[in-house]
Amino acid sequence: MDKRRIFISPVTRIEGHANITIEMDDNGNVSDALFHVNEFRGFEKFCEGRMYTEMPTITPRICGICPTSHTLASVKACEMIQGIQPTYTANLLRRLMHIGQNLSSHALSFFHLSSPDFLLGYDSDPAKRNILGIAEKYPDIALKGIRLRKFGQELSERITGKKIHIMGIVPGGMAYPLTEDNRKALLAWIPEAIETVQAGIGIIKKFHEENAEMVASFATSPTLYLGTVGPDGEHELYDGKLRFMDADGTILQDQLLPQQYLEFIAERSVNWSYLKYPYYKPYGFDKGFYRVGPLARLNVASRMRTALAQREFELFKQMNNGKPVHGAFYFHYTRLIEALSDVEDAERILNDPQVTSTHIQHHGRWNYEEGIGSSEAPRGTLFHHYKTDETGKLKMVNLLIATGQNNPSMNRSVLEVAKQYVKGDDIKEGMLNRVESTIRCYDPCLSCSTHAIGQMPMVIEVKDKRGVVLKRLERG
Amino acid sequence: MNTIPIIIDEKKLEVDPGKTILEVCRENEIEILTMCHLKGVLDIGACRLCLVEIEGINKLLSACTTKVAANMIIRTNTDRIKKYQRITTELFFAERNHVCAVCVANGKCELQDLGYKVGLDHIRYPHLFPQCEVDTSHPWYVMDHNRCIMCTRCVRVCNEVEGAHNWDVMNRGHQVRVISDFNSPWGESVTCTSCGKCLHACPTGAIWPKAIVQGQLQKNPGMINELVEKRKMKL
Repeated sequence: MDKRRIFISPVTRIEGHANITIEMDDNGNVSDALFHVNEFRGFEKFCEGRMYTEMPTITPRICGICPTSHTLASVKACEMIQGIQPTYTANLLRRLMHIGQNLSSHALSFFHLSSPDFLLGYDSDPAKRNILGIAEKYPDIALKGIRLRKFGQELSERITGKKIHIMGIVPGGMAYPLTEDNRKALLAWIPEAIETVQAGIGIIKKFHEENAEMVASFATSPTLYLGTVGPDGEHELYDGKLRFMDADGTILQDQLLPQQYLEFIAERSVNWSYLKYPYYKPYGFDKGFYRVGPLARLNVASRMRTALAQREFELFKQMNNGKPVHGAFYFHYTRLIEALSDVEDAERILNDPQVTSTHIQHHGRWNYEEGIGSSEAPRGTLFHHYKTDETGKLKMVNLLIATGQNNPSMNRSVLEVAKQYVKGDDIKEGMLNRVESTIRCYDPCLSCSTHAIGQMPMVIEVKDKRGVVLKRLERG
Repeated sequence: MNTIPIIIDEKKLEVDPGKTILEVCRENEIEILTMCHLKGVLDIGACRLCLVEIEGINKLLSACTTKVAANMIIRTNTDRIKKYQRITTELFFAERNHVCAVCVANGKCELQDLGYKVGLDHIRYPHLFPQCEVDTSHPWYVMDHNRCIMCTRCVRVCNEVEGAHNWDVMNRGHQVRVISDFNSPWGESVTCTSCGKCLHACPTGAIWPKAIVQGQLQKNPGMINELVEKRKMKL
């Protein structure tokens, strides 16, 4: 019998467009699996020739989920070009906006995209396995999730007037201050947001307990980890230095400046995906796979910055006796611990007497030809690297996106889960949903916005190697 | 001074002879769309947005360059005019590379406002997507030809108000470009005084200060006429 190939296209409930190919051997076992990202954007090329100061406006358009992270990495690169630093208040406002985006993204990932698997089941009716299905069966949880996302977006809207493609984060600081009325309005959200995140933590913990075997064995290949940490190794999203950790918890590199990223990270292209393969340079392509994102950030961090999150962090660390936790499933848990930290941190910032100051921008002009900035996007460490001519016109743009860095590991996780769950001739939809859900663990952000429910039908075709369709499953 | 009778959109008016239809309309709060008109510099009828119908004349005439005459019957908002305004606006957007979302002038742009006014929801013509230079050579300002609509307000203000004549125009048709001196980088100009009037005159994000990003642009085109009036008064 010819080798068979299963093609999942598109992968659903993720941000962006991707396919998965699963290849099977003669005995009906999975022999290989590939995760293809079939979008091509071209930002690095068409930004060449623009003024570097336009980048904080152009690059947030890369993504409708993490525009603030792009803006922050971009303004930091611009500030390096100008040789200036933002004001204290501007840093507070940027942190608030970044927290807002992280919360909104994490709420979307957990409540809207992933919770249907936990609450309704992997094998439940695909037509209802979405946020609308949750709204029908668990209206209270759906509403909480939607409102948590709203709070995240309000953090940006009440500072800059826009929820998604924010304006107002400028080289040297911020263009708009926070008014006292808006500060109070944001502060009023805090108790509800903490309650919602804790409810989410309750859901994931219950799922862990009830499905201990699956969680413990779900895509558990060890990798290296990269994340941003503060001066004492504390968890950090906005402004810190980099830490690389190996699979056993040994710190390989600590307090690296983001500007050194090229010394430690290299990229390689493959001919079956538009997403490149980054790796940890000292270990080479074969052994240098590393992961970024909430799981990586909590694995590399020595502690959290806030009390409630620290309590959860300690429980998380106990799971592998203080060593890194590798299971891709734990992305969900760490995402929620981060969300808890976000809400507590937002409360701290909103109570800072300087947060409503109008001293929000330092002014600078072009001074240096090169700028590199980084920030922790919801999905992991993000780098923007610009080179300009002596007039400020861009000659080179390199963007190292978080999802790209998880790409090698996503591939490996897909193969692992496919081998575990996809077997035999009778391929069931639920099996393939488990393979898809591996991708959802990483919450990849493959394009610039979410897609609407109901507009992403999934077609799975089992073909022989000549491309003849042997079996076809549809949902839509 | 003797006045003359005219009718605009069924409204009977007594107006001063020697004024343009545009001037009369603005004085009488009759809306006429314009892009190349800038109070304080000479009108050239380039953008073709201010076209009006005049009874007895088959072709449409530009309100900014046509003077009123006794007993003229003028119409400014017929379906025919609205159709041409829409076509003209679409052609502005199709000719070069206008991306409002990432433009420094987003929210402060006369072309964007025009799009909203004519109800621009799509563009029926194929975009030309020309390769246009972004001139960043000036120490303070940027000239982005992608966003230029060839209104030549910068050219006229530089010549007529500042008296420097740094800006001019070269080529024809789609190849037409605003140039600095004899088509040299703006930063190398020997005539530019760096006064910034062209920046305030520019209706789009084609000329902008390097120091600002989207959301921070402040243009004051009305300042040009104020300067002209103050000079007349020898203040």
